[in-house]
Amino acid sequence: MSGARAAILTDGLTKDYGGGRGLFDLDLEVARGEVLGFLGPNGAGKSTTMRLLLDLIRPTAGRAWVLGFETRAASLEIRRRVGYLPGDLALYLKLTAGQMLEHLAALRGGVDRAHLNTLVERFAVELDRPIADLSTGNRQKVGLVQAFMHDPELLILDEPIAGLDPLVQQSFHALLREVTDGGATVFLSSHTLSEVERVADRAAILRAGRLVITESLERLRAQAIQRLEIEFAGSPPLAELRSLPQVREVEANHRHVNISFEGSADAIVKALARHEVRAIRSHDDDLERIFLRYYREGEQ
Amino acid sequence: MIRPVFALAFRLRAPAAVSAGAGLVAVSAIAGALFPAVGHTIGKLDLPRGVADLLGGADYGTVAGWFNGEIASVYGPLVVGAVAITAAAATTAGEEENRILALLLGHPVTRARLIVGKAAAMALGTALVAAIAWAGLELGVALAGGGIAARNQAALALHLGCFGLATGAVALALGAGTGRRGLAVAGASGFTLAGYLIAGFAPLVDGLAWLRYLATYHYYSGHDPLANGVGIADCAVLVLFAVALTAVAAAGFERRDLRG
Repeated sequence: MSGARAAILTDGLTKDYGGGRGLFDLDLEVARGEVLGFLGPNGAGKSTTMRLLLDLIRPTAGRAWVLGFETRAASLEIRRRVGYLPGDLALYLKLTAGQMLEHLAALRGGVDRAHLNTLVERFAVELDRPIADLSTGNRQKVGLVQAFMHDPELLILDEPIAGLDPLVQQSFHALLREVTDGGATVFLSSHTLSEVERVADRAAILRAGRLVITESLERLRAQAIQRLEIEFAGSPPLAELRSLPQVREVEANHRHVNISFEGSADAIVKALARHEVRAIRSHDDDLERIFLRYYREGEQ
Repeated sequence: MIRPVFALAFRLRAPAAVSAGAGLVAVSAIAGALFPAVGHTIGKLDLPRGVADLLGGADYGTVAGWFNGEIASVYGPLVVGAVAITAAAATTAGEEENRILALLLGHPVTRARLIVGKAAAMALGTALVAAIAWAGLELGVALAGGGIAARNQAALALHLGCFGLATGAVALALGAGTGRRGLAVAGASGFTLAGYLIAGFAPLVDGLAWLRYLATYHYYSGHDPLANGVGIADCAVLVLFAVALTAVAAAGFERRDLRG
């Protein structure tokens, strides 16, 4: 097996810390140009996977390739081409943000100053302030700038929006779109679905160190049980709604009705059209339920 | 990419080295100022041989003996060793415990180069303390009324620097090999203290006298640089010991998982 065509390829990748902790038998492929969201609760093995890919830790079994390079044999080449944001980012507290970025740029070598300055402006990094005085979000911005500053082929981002305010999150997502439009691959971990849903093509769900599912968000959404909240002008047609094959559950509270359904909403909309409807709201937290189901399956 | 690693590690540790050096200058100056009033009164103490050796001969009646007892035997190596040990442990295991190394090693820098850069910074910091100590000796000896050749004062500073290198290298190897700062500091301190005691007491027992050759302190003080100038062979042993332990540090760091 070789990972020449994939941005990331793992074959039975295992890191066993004992006591059931670690990562077990991970087979994962991330295509070049893809954005893969790596989801899982805390301790599921997301950071462990990323650290294995960067050769910060070594596998107990299995192998991995990043951009066609085997992680143990060509770690330096991989790190030259990858932008990495660690989880729980730590920086030198005695340096200013500017000095920190200068140091990391010097370590990396060949960083385009104009590009670096653009990123600094884009994230409004306060270069002159000591890291010790920066909030978690402002430190995270320094981490993001260093991850993007060399225009990497692959970004490995461990919980990238941790501590960022919504405006900075928007800037980050816009930048992510730009780099993926330019052909970069993104491997991004999160324990929140909404972030992954916003930027990823596919999601991989990890639970207790094992890969549960890798699926496109589109297909995951198709599995979702959707919910509609409807307010009728008159008596709700409960029997008619319950008789529709897509409908799973109907709950009524006077003129307010909550409908849970799977698949197409077409039959429901046509049934509703025969009645006077004052308000209709759909809920988009259905994917969250799917992910929670995957998270919890192993606990039961 | 050793240079940025070296430059930052030195920059972060230099203030501590300068403070420690300033402390050495102050102690040397005080010792020098006290000698005319106190030294002749105390004279040569009648102590058991091992204890006297640990105090640089315990001859407080001469300027050389006074500075041997006050600076060269205890305070000098204690300060230089402490600076080297804390620098080596902080820049390796300390940064690993603080999780900064995870960020640095996400960049294209090998672990060996990282260790070499940090070892070089530790060496320069140690040299800085030793150089300041030399200036302090010059001041102290002048205040005492002279009596030690300038080249012998420089020799003591050189021996101090080499001793610091060797001591720091123990912390470097332990820090890089384990990623545990506390272990690196305690291990290197224990190794150095044990060496100090062995250098003093092992020669008293015929069958154990050879043990002193295992102590870095023996190579630092055995030649008595304030009296005899530079002991090139002893300094070479200390430097080679430091180089070997730096290689051990790099190899140990290369083989293991990053902690945290």
